[in-house]
Amino acid sequence: MDISRNSMEIATALATAAVGAVVCYGASLNGISWGDGGPQPGYFPFYIGCLIIFGSAATIIQTVVQRASTAGVTFVDGERLRTVVMFFLPIVAFVAISAWLGLYIGMAIYTFYAMRFAAGFRTPAALLTAAIVVAVNFIIFEKLFVVPLLKGPVLEYFGIY
Amino acid sequence: MGNFSLLMDGFAVALTTHHIMIMVMGVLLGLVVGVLPGLGAPNGVSLLLPLTFTMDPISAIILLTSMYWGALFGGSTTSILFNIPGEPSSVATTFDGYPMAKQGQAVRALTLAFGSAGFGALVGVLVITLLSSWVAQFALRFGSPEYFGVYFLAFASFIGMSGGSPFKTLVSMMLGFAVATVGIDTISGEGRLTFDYDALIGGISFLIAVIGLFGLGELLLTMEEGLKFEGVKAKLDLKVILRTIAEVPRYWVTIVRSALIGCWMGITPGGPTAASFMSYALGRRFSRRGKYFGKGEPEGIVAPETADHSAGSCALLPMLALGIPGSATAAVMMGGLMIWGLSPGPMLFTTRPDFVWGLIASMYMGNLIAVVLVLATVPMFAYILRAPFTVVGPIITIVCVIGAYTVANHVFDIWLALGFGLIGYVFKKLDYPLAPFVLAMVLGDKAEDAFRQAMLSSGGSGSIFFANPLVSTMMALGILLLCLPLISAAWNGSLFGKKDDIDQAHEGRSV
Repeated sequence: MDISRNSMEIATALATAAVGAVVCYGASLNGISWGDGGPQPGYFPFYIGCLIIFGSAATIIQTVVQRASTAGVTFVDGERLRTVVMFFLPIVAFVAISAWLGLYIGMAIYTFYAMRFAAGFRTPAALLTAAIVVAVNFIIFEKLFVVPLLKGPVLEYFGIY
Repeated sequence: MGNFSLLMDGFAVALTTHHIMIMVMGVLLGLVVGVLPGLGAPNGVSLLLPLTFTMDPISAIILLTSMYWGALFGGSTTSILFNIPGEPSSVATTFDGYPMAKQGQAVRALTLAFGSAGFGALVGVLVITLLSSWVAQFALRFGSPEYFGVYFLAFASFIGMSGGSPFKTLVSMMLGFAVATVGIDTISGEGRLTFDYDALIGGISFLIAVIGLFGLGELLLTMEEGLKFEGVKAKLDLKVILRTIAEVPRYWVTIVRSALIGCWMGITPGGPTAASFMSYALGRRFSRRGKYFGKGEPEGIVAPETADHSAGSCALLPMLALGIPGSATAAVMMGGLMIWGLSPGPMLFTTRPDFVWGLIASMYMGNLIAVVLVLATVPMFAYILRAPFTVVGPIITIVCVIGAYTVANHVFDIWLALGFGLIGYVFKKLDYPLAPFVLAMVLGDKAEDAFRQAMLSSGGSGSIFFANPLVSTMMALGILLLCLPLISAAWNGSLFGKKDDIDQAHEGRSV
């Protein structure tokens, strides 16, 4: 499943144009005229949004005009996409778990998963690494610098806030 | 040169074993703070502040500034080794530092960075030594129009600097501005682009964008390319370090230019981050090897590092002389000063010269100690780099995620950082330059505020930007820099995408 460079270029430019449109819309909520106190809050964001749309449109035109020269170029092929996704999805899971159970537990589970399945450690080694990671971070952030990290219901149950 | 004898007195004050021990401690602590994106120099300074209440003011401020240097140097270390800027001001160091490290020359990259950083800081401190009163007077002349002039100049130097499509640069920069706009507008108090979504009222922090774009984005790219991190092939070879140190003077033009830019941006409200960007951009334009920037070019490391550190030093001067803190760290330090019963301002120089000059003398020493210590920790990092990426990658991910969380204790920020990571991945692959995006985020808000405040005071007239020589010069220089690339692009016929060799050199990995 290959994604060609041209299609990705156009898709990205469309996405940035959409962002530009959202910015323009948001700006119009704040007022976009120029009074005698100077510009209203939405003035600059509106034109920024317009410039984004302009730049995106120009990129699309440029891509279409030059499509012959980049015809065969792939943006990402199936194999690499799979590698990236297999790396990215666990991170998403890590963040989701952390939002619910706190960063330390999230960290522990993620490290264990990464070491056991991605790095190929054996289970005891993976568990040990996870424990070390959590311990080191706990000491640095909680004890040394007193920067509290997100903790979920599990740790709070044990009285660690 | 009365200042010089005062400086000598200052050295006498600073050079006690007690103080040197404090400097070492401060630098080491600063290194930890600088290396972890989750901790910034303000964190470290705030942490140390309570400790300092029991110390005398001179020891206390020496501790704080040593920590500040340590943090700056530590930030450069992770920028080069992992492409994660530990401090916002080390973002520009990633552009050439990381590519050089990936080519197996990490020690050379680090030494170049620290050597030029040490030099930049020295120049900054020299400026403070020699010019303190003049600078104080000068800084007083800066009102809103002048502030805007400074930012405008910084932007203008960066436009047209990236190779490749100018439209992509435009989109990237405008997106940066748009992101900077999110949140409460300081002039009218209205929320902008928040769509009544509470999490966005505080705006989107620059740190989140940086952690996402550079940290996570780079991780995704590295994963995809299946690269094994080349890292440091040999052990920490003293010969390599010495050879690189000998290499540094070769780039004296870049160094001098960057140091001057840094001093300028430190004294004016530009700041170290803007200084490093501007210096990188101008280095790229004016250096003979400019077109190789972004691929591991030594001058691409020297330029931003020198500027960043000289700006960092000079930025302390407005704080000491005028009570105007140029950064969050300076603000916390100022708080400390006041707690110790010292009020920053011109009187400080006359009533407590021992404090001021002791501090300045310790800055020289602190830099030296920082450079030595930081080079000594390089073997430790080299050791880390030899681990396979499947181990290092997740650890860096955790560091980034924690970093994103600690910015404001919002889980939403972590999701934002992930989003930026994806954007960084796609943008880098499609040759959308990230540097303009980052620069726009850093300066966009401040530039717009300055513009609108100037407009308010001039009643909507644009002529205020040319009302006095200082502002007119800055605006004129900015406009000139803006037009320069357009003129040369039209000359080359490359405005609409016809490639020439400069563009082709950038195709591989654009900034």
